Amino acid sequence: MGLLKKKDSTSARSSTSPCADLRNAYHNCFNKWYSEKFVKGQWDKEECVAEWKKYRDCLSENLDGKLLTRILEVDGELNPTKQDADSKESSS
Amino acid sequence: MVKAYRQEHVYKHPWERVSAASWRKFADPENKRILSHILEVDTLNRKLDTETGKLHTTRALTIHAPGPWFLHRIIGQDICHCVESTVVDGKSRSMQLTTKNISLKKFIEVEERIRYDPHPDNPSAWTVCSQETSIRIKPLSALASMAEKVEQKCAEKFMQNSAKGREVMERICKYMEAESARI
Repeated sequence: MGLLKKKDSTSARSSTSPCADLRNAYHNCFNKWYSEKFVKGQWDKEECVAEWKKYRDCLSENLDGKLLTRILEVDGELNPTKQDADSKESSS
Repeated sequence: MVKAYRQEHVYKHPWERVSAASWRKFADPENKRILSHILEVDTLNRKLDTETGKLHTTRALTIHAPGPWFLHRIIGQDICHCVESTVVDGKSRSMQLTTKNISLKKFIEVEERIRYDPHPDNPSAWTVCSQETSIRIKPLSALASMAEKVEQKCAEKFMQNSAKGREVMERICKYMEAESARI
């Protein structure tokens, strides 16, 4: 189910991912930061770093390998080189 | 053969609120019932450029996408994973999302692009959302002989889901508006 390695294929569809709590903590932090700071022009520093690290570490441990390869491939298509994308955006 | 369509919608809410609502769209507990086809959303990567005010995010979406019985026979699964890549430009107040499927690529390629920009007629209070979706059945896949029909069915489904998505966005925007009035 989701992105994570299959543990028990007979488990209910609504079984919670092992990273769900960490994900929610990160998303809540992000949403707050986005609304209260980012859109008001306060983008001078990264926030929610601790939440992000814990969540990301959980995903790294649990992510299904095959799926990750495919995700990275498509992400590569969507963002050819971040540098190219950045220079295109700044000139428009 | 590619099926493509465009939609545009105006939110009578400022860009700041609409873009924030977009982040909450899939996770909002009240609205999960409406967008029940979205099973999981995970953030895979994020990068904030503190100089330019650009936020890059990559997310993975797990979607329940059942089709007619014969589709399931051919494809063999009804769970689809997609990657969503987003850039928010804080300075120019623009948000762009591009979503592509990563599973079922042997059979079908779907790409959806959404942009949220301040409305030209009322940039401080309204937001324009323009959405472009393209659906392509892979020519040599087992679906090729019924490509036109499948593309049509997919397009209908996407239109329905887009309408649900807009409904959810409007609700979240109204909620956020009420919250900010209270403060």
